[in-house]
This record gives sequence, C-alpha cells and structure tokens, in this order.
Amino acid sequence: MSFASARSRDRGFRVLVVVGLILFVVWSAAPILWLIVSSLMQQQALIVQPPDFSLGNFTLENFTEVIVSAAALGRGILNSFIVALFSTAVALVIGAPAAYALARLAVPRANALAFLVLATQMLPGIAIAIPLFLVISRLGLIDNVLALGLVYLSFNLPIVIWILRGFFLAIPEGIEKAAAVDGAGVVGTFLHIVLPISIPPLGAAAVFAFVEAWNEFFFALILTRQDAQTVPLVIAQFAGQYQTLFGQMMAAAAISIAPVIALAIIFRNQIVRGFADGMMKG
Amino acid sequence: MSLKLTRRNALTGAAALGAASLLPNGFSRPAAAQDSTLGVFGPLPPDPAPPGAAKFAGAEFDAWKAANGADVKYDLVAWPQLHDRMATAFASGSAPWDVMYNCGWVPEFESFLLPFVDDLPKELVDDMPGSSFSTVTWNGKRYGAIFTLSLLTLFYNKEHLDEAGLGAPPKDWDEFLRYTKELTRDGRYGFVSNYGDPAGIGGTASYWMAFLQQAGGTMYAEDGSPAFNTEAGVAALQMMIDLQAAGTDPGSISYVGINDATNVLLSGRASMMMNWPFMWKPAQDPKGSQVVGKLAASVLPAGPAGTASIDGTDAWTIGKSTKDAEKARKLIEFYLDPAIQKKQALDTGWLPIRLSVLNDPDVQATMPLAKVVLDQAQHPYDSFVTPDYNEISQAVGTEIQKALQGQKTAAEAIAEAETLASAIIARRG
Amino acid sequence: MSSTSFERRRRRAGLLFVAPAAIVLLAILAYPIVESFILSTQSVRLVAGGVTKEWNSFANYIRLAGDETFRRAVVNTMIFSFGEVALVVSIGLAVALLLNHPLGRWGFFRIMLVVPWAIAPVANAVLWKWILNSNYGILNGLLKSLGLIEYYQVWLARPWSAFGFLLLIDVWKSVPFIALLLLAGLQRVPQSLYKAAYMDGAGRWQAFRHVTLPTMRSALAIAVVLQTIWSLRVFEIIFVLTRGGPADATVLMNFLAYRVTFNFLDIGYGAAIANIIFALTFLLAITYVWLMQPRKRRISS
Repeated sequence: MSFASARSRDRGFRVLVVVGLILFVVWSAAPILWLIVSSLMQQQALIVQPPDFSLGNFTLENFTEVIVSAAALGRGILNSFIVALFSTAVALVIGAPAAYALARLAVPRANALAFLVLATQMLPGIAIAIPLFLVISRLGLIDNVLALGLVYLSFNLPIVIWILRGFFLAIPEGIEKAAAVDGAGVVGTFLHIVLPISIPPLGAAAVFAFVEAWNEFFFALILTRQDAQTVPLVIAQFAGQYQTLFGQMMAAAAISIAPVIALAIIFRNQIVRGFADGMMKG
Repeated sequence: MSLKLTRRNALTGAAALGAASLLPNGFSRPAAAQDSTLGVFGPLPPDPAPPGAAKFAGAEFDAWKAANGADVKYDLVAWPQLHDRMATAFASGSAPWDVMYNCGWVPEFESFLLPFVDDLPKELVDDMPGSSFSTVTWNGKRYGAIFTLSLLTLFYNKEHLDEAGLGAPPKDWDEFLRYTKELTRDGRYGFVSNYGDPAGIGGTASYWMAFLQQAGGTMYAEDGSPAFNTEAGVAALQMMIDLQAAGTDPGSISYVGINDATNVLLSGRASMMMNWPFMWKPAQDPKGSQVVGKLAASVLPAGPAGTASIDGTDAWTIGKSTKDAEKARKLIEFYLDPAIQKKQALDTGWLPIRLSVLNDPDVQATMPLAKVVLDQAQHPYDSFVTPDYNEISQAVGTEIQKALQGQKTAAEAIAEAETLASAIIARRG
Repeated sequence: MSSTSFERRRRRAGLLFVAPAAIVLLAILAYPIVESFILSTQSVRLVAGGVTKEWNSFANYIRLAGDETFRRAVVNTMIFSFGEVALVVSIGLAVALLLNHPLGRWGFFRIMLVVPWAIAPVANAVLWKWILNSNYGILNGLLKSLGLIEYYQVWLARPWSAFGFLLLIDVWKSVPFIALLLLAGLQRVPQSLYKAAYMDGAGRWQAFRHVTLPTMRSALAIAVVLQTIWSLRVFEIIFVLTRGGPADATVLMNFLAYRVTFNFLDIGYGAAIANIIFALTFLLAITYVWLMQPRKRRISS
C-alpha cells in the first residue's frame, strides 16, 4: 500500500470524525437551543403555526418574571446546591474506599456484596417512597435539606461504588504489589497510587452524583415542604393544571442549568482527562 | 472479627431507623403543631390558590389573621403534584394539614376528612348552589365547601362563526356536528379537546360523562353499581366519535393536558372547545393569546336530554386530625366571605361560588362568563366522583380512547368499560 | 491455608473501607426495601383516618398474572429496555470515541456532553412535549419547511410512533452519562497498545476490535448494567408526554406502578408491580454481568 493512499485514507477518517463531531453537537444542542429560544419568546408567538419569530415577539420578560415572582428559585438553587454537594462529596469519600475494598482487598464474597449494593437501586423509587416518607416524618426530618441529602446519598452511593469498582478491578495488580514492596500500607497505596490514576472514573462518578441530586424530583416533592424545596420543584410550578407558563418554565430551566454548566466549565479537565496513560504502564 | 462488628453496627443503625417507623406520630412536627398556626395545603397559582398566595385579598387575609389570632402556614405545590403528596401522607397514616384543597377526591380521602358543612352559617350554605355539594358528599356527610363555580361550558371563536355565517353558538348535538364540520376549513379545526389523559376530572372519561348526562344517562344505579352501558352511554360516545370525524383536531388524542388543547384554541386554529371558567382570563391576555376579544361562551349544546356539564369540584376541606376545627372552619368561611369571593373573581378570574356574588353586576361586567356558567348550573353537572374515581375513569377513559381511535365501536367500548368498572367496584367491596 | 500478613492486613482494611458505605445503605434503605416487599403481600386500605394492612397470601401477585394492562406493560418495558440499552450504549460509545480523538478533545465538547443531562427532567419532558406538539410543535414546523412532510403529524397518536419518540427522548437524555463513563474507560487504554498494534500492521477496525474493546470490557459492562436499571425506571417523560396513552400503548411498568400506587391508592398491588420490576432488573443485570465477564482462568496466588 502506497504512502499517499494511506495519507488520503487518513484524511478521509479525519473528515469522518469532524462530521461525527458536528452531528454530536447538533444532536445535543438542538433541543437546548429551542429551550433557550422559547424562553425568550412570548407564548402567543409559540402557539401559532409556524412559530412567529418576528423581532417584536422576543422578550426578556420570562426571565424577569421568573426572577421577580419566584424568590423560590434562588432558594431552590441554594438547596439543590447543598443537597447535591453534600451527597456527592460523601458518596465519593465513603464510596471510593468501599469500591476499592470490593475490588481489591479480599473482602469475603466481594462479588456478591457488590451486586447486593447495586441491587438496592433496582427497586423503583416509588416503591420505597411511602415507607421512607414514614420514617423521615416520624423522625421529624421532613423539609430538612440534610435529610434529603442523605436520601440522595443512598441512591448515588451504590452507583458510585459500582462505577469505581469496575475501574479499580482493571488496575494491573503489579502496581499495588510494587507499592507494598516499597513499604506502603493499604491506605497509603489507595490514597497515593490508586486514586491519582483514577481521576477519570472519579470525575464521571462525581458528575453523575451531582447531576442526579440536582435534578431529582419525586423524593424532593414528598420529603420537602417550602424551606428545603429544590430547583426541580420550583421549575415544576410553572406547569399547572389549566395553564403551562412555558416560556417561564424554560427560563427557570435555563437558569437552573447555569450553575451545573459553570461547574462543568471549571472542572472540564477533571471530568475526564487523558493523563492516565503514563501511570498505567506501571 | 471486624466483619461481625461491622455487620452488628450496620444492623443497629438499620434497626434504629426501622424503629423510627414505629414511633407515634406525635414525635413529628406537622405544620399545624403550634397551637395558633393553621396548616393549609393547596395548589400554587396560576391554579386556584388561596388568598395571600394568589394575588388577591392579601390585606384582608392579614387582617383576618390578626383579628383571629391565627397564623396560617401555606404548604402549596403545583396542581399536578397535589394528589401525590396527599396520597403519600395519608398512606403513612397521617393527615398533617388543618385545611386542604380537594378536587373530586373527597370520597377517596373521606376517612381523613372532617364533615364540617353542617356547622357553616346557614346564610352561607343557602348562598351556594345546592348541587355544588354533591361532589363533596360521601356516605351522607358533607366534607367540603366548593369555592369556585367551575363547570365546563362551550368556548367559541365569534370571528370564525361569523365568517362561516353562523350567527349563534350551536344549540344541540346536530348543530354542534354541523358547526364543527363547517368551521373546519382554512387549515383550522372546528373543535379541539384533550383526550390524551383518560383519567381524572378533565380527562377523557369526564368529557364523556358530560355527553352522557346530555344524552340522559347516568353512571351509577341507586345501589352504586355501574349503570352506563345503556343507549345513552353509547350515544354519548358515538357523539364524540362523530365530532372527531366532523373536524376535531386530530391532535386531541395526544393532548394530555387541557393547556395543550387550549393553546390551539388561543392561537385561532380551532373554533370551539369545552373549557373551564379559569381559562377565560388568560384567553384575554395578549401575551399568551391570539384571540383576545374574539372568544365567547355558551352553555354546552344540548343532547337528547338537554344540556349538562361536569363539575370541576375545587373545594376546601378540613383534616380529621386538626387541633382546632373551629378555626379551620372560620378560615374557610373567610375564603368564602362575599368580599373575598368578589376579589377572587375580579382579580384572578376564578368565578365565585356564592350566588349573590355571581349575580353581582361588577362581577358580571368583568366576567361575562359568569352568566353563562350560572345558566349551565341550572342543568345537571354531576362528576360522579366515588372512592374509585381515578381507577374507574382510567378504565372507562382508556376504552373511550380505543373507540376514538377506531379500534372498537362505541357499543363495544362502553360494554367493556362497564365490565371493568364493575370489577373495580367489586374488588373494593 | 495460612494467609500471609500482607493478605490479612488487606482483608482487615477492606472491611474498614466497606463499613461506612454499608452502614449508610443499611440505615437508609433496609427498612423501606423490606417494607416494600411486605406491602406487596398485603391488602392496604385507608380506613378511619388510618391505614390497615392485611396479609393476603400473595393475592397481589396472582392478580398480576391476569392483568392485561400489566402484561402489556411488561412487553413494552422489555422492548423499551433492550432498545434503550442497545441505542444508548452504541451511541454513547460512538460519542466517547469521537471525543477521545485528538480533534474531539476541545473542552467545549465535554461541556456539550453535560448540558442535555443537566436539564431538570420535568422541564425536559415539557420541552419535548412542545417540540412534538401536532399543532404548534417546532418539529412539525421544521420538517414542513424542509419539505419532508406535507401535513403536520400527530407524533404521539399512533402507538409505535409515540413509543418511538419516548424512546428517542430517553436515549437523548441518557447518552451523555454513558458517553462520559465510556470516555473515562477509553482514556485508560494505553496508547502503547495501539502503537504496538499498528506496528503489527493492524488497521483501525482491527485495533478497535482487538485493543479498544477488550480493555473497555469493564466500562461497557458497567454502562450496560446501569442503563438497564435506569431503563426499567423510566417515568417522567411518560407522565408528562403520554400518561401511558393513547389507550395504554405506552404504559411501562414503573409508570404503571406509580399509577396503581399513587392514583388508585392500591398500595399493595403497586408494591407487587414494583417488586416484579426489581426481580426483572435483577435477572437482567446478573445475566449481563455474567455475559460480559472476562472468560479468563483465575490464577490463584
């Protein structure tokens, strides 16, 4: 095979990648774009066929009304932030060691135990809603942000463990043996060898736990009242029985993704990063 | 060794929480715990929220609280989530609110409610349409006070009717069908509805119940057993099928909420719709409506037995475990005070329930709809709520959807619906 | 067998490592899970301002067998689950491969990955309901202006079309996380392996098959199992877009469990449906785990 044809095949592949990336952006962004456009329009312009995009129909009113009328949104964002941060941080701090132990530390029946942990998430949430409500209300913890955070922790923790365990299992055993020979204890090996090469799965697990807690609706609905309300409940308020204030709902949704996107921008290099290679060769 | 320790710790923890479920309810702190605080559960605006939560009668509400030495703590959620929250609380054996909103759920939640209507002042009860109590009565006891007269009437686009040379709104089923056909033109539909959600008040089954009563039928016999597999029951469904063929927006079967269908009316792409009084005011708002000033309303077209409608049944009720039933009742009396009722009508567009306020000239001038709804209230408007209402309307509505989609004839669907309804009632015993 | 002190130390540390997570899960979830199972064997009624529960000897489960809506929900759920897992994992893998390519490493792409997922599901469902509306939806408007359809379509009226759109929306919402997970997996494939493969004259496809896929096995297994769990719990989009309709065509099991529990207050029966979901998820997950286990002989030390 000639050098030239290899290079042109290479160029063909790059074109394929670029087309794929464009498709990916369009696929992900198109509905979001529509969300943003409709949050900037009056409802009467959106219910006609086709939507009336004349300049006069664009307005910031949806945003101003959401911000003015719903002091709840600010509180909702704060509550969501506390709940998400708390459940994510704790899930990682206690989930990572558990995952490591179940992967590498000769815990008896580790496979079964790991599966049991995951199995706690196989019963749909609505089935445990009523008993959980009962417990939390008898403890007087309804409308308590940390109680909600604990409930989310119990939902996220098994997933975090399951994700991290899978990745820890794939670490070559040589790395830990070498560390042990060098005199490192189990904790030291975990902290200084295993965690640093596991940033990508840790990042994925963290993003998962955060977003799930940020957006969870059903348990927030039954376990909070006014004070601990999280963002999804505030957003749901715009969809009533007789009317859906669509523009305002989309405006509230746009505002509520902003903090998550800001975090994604700050941590974009931690979410997934490609430095594992050098360390993996061990 | 460590393992055992771990397990023991863990089990202790689990046991602690498990034991919590056995604690008496008093350990918790429901919204109503402080003596002078009333906990009120209801919907958030734009659905019919109470004074102080929706934008009306705020000052009067503050004055009432001061005068009665009562604080009121609102626990409000969006309407679609109301039932879930109540179901969760009741299923855990607690009713943590003094006053709560109910919408056709009184028979279902009866055992958590306090019958209080007999204690209301006579002049108040006499000022409400007698039939408004039918959906809040169960086993002979009256558990609620409706606070807004909410009946389905016919909303229509005057401009479209004029263009088609149709002067007055349709009076009977034949005209209804003919109008629908003639108004279906220029890319518009004569009629639109929301048949996507079979269950609940405002669902497919409930629309059919309006037609059922227009045809002279009823849902239940005296003994409570289903009695709708009759000529009237089939005729009602056949009317819906015929309307469909005459020019109902084919999207109607996919609209799960009334707002999905209302948008079609408000964009001027449908000419007629059965709708609730609440929608009148938003329809006059140019930000959300293309038909400002073009809508009119009339009583629903008459079937073989005349006109008839269904009741939206928005009511205030009192929780059984309230510590201060009297103050709770006083609060409801305040909500139903003539002055508050008038503000409710003028500021929010939700009609009052008091006949004196409905007939108030100011109210009728601002809400021309009031007269139409009062007319409609002269005729039957039973919503046939029972403890099984959700389940039965789900089953019946699903059969109606099948008929609307042509999978079954009207007679087959109604026969099957009655079989299903009988089974549901038998199961409850 | 006598274990070395190295192993003993690791086992003891392992138990300590597992303990906090185990305590948290047991303390919060043990009671609700057990109670849910007990409820499924009871007839639960709201009577006299309280709740009565009576053991009904698995009558709920027996009733399920004759429930036509339930049977339909099971079939729908299985189709939905297999379809969703296949689509999400393959699209997710494609996206992960794209973003792992040098051209795809721009941070913008990773942010694009988070966005669809970060929208509150409530708002997402309403957004899609409006997009798909048969009268004023933007999808109809777009397709018509492109000349692809002549008349506005009622996307959610026909059973298979409604089902397909629900699937599409859920796939759209689920791809980002699975892609992220697989991307994390891809980044652990040592570049040296590729170099070696190319040196041996392997093409791109061969490198993918023999280097990428085997190293990704555990990440793929995680993705498949997690997506299976989530696909059996789909709820929000059905609640907002179709309510299971038209005529129960899009009823999935979790939606049915919700309807029975919270709308019909038939709590025991709802719990029985939920427990069937649990059993089904469990079986599927364990099958997938078994299928995707590396078939290697374990060398015991």
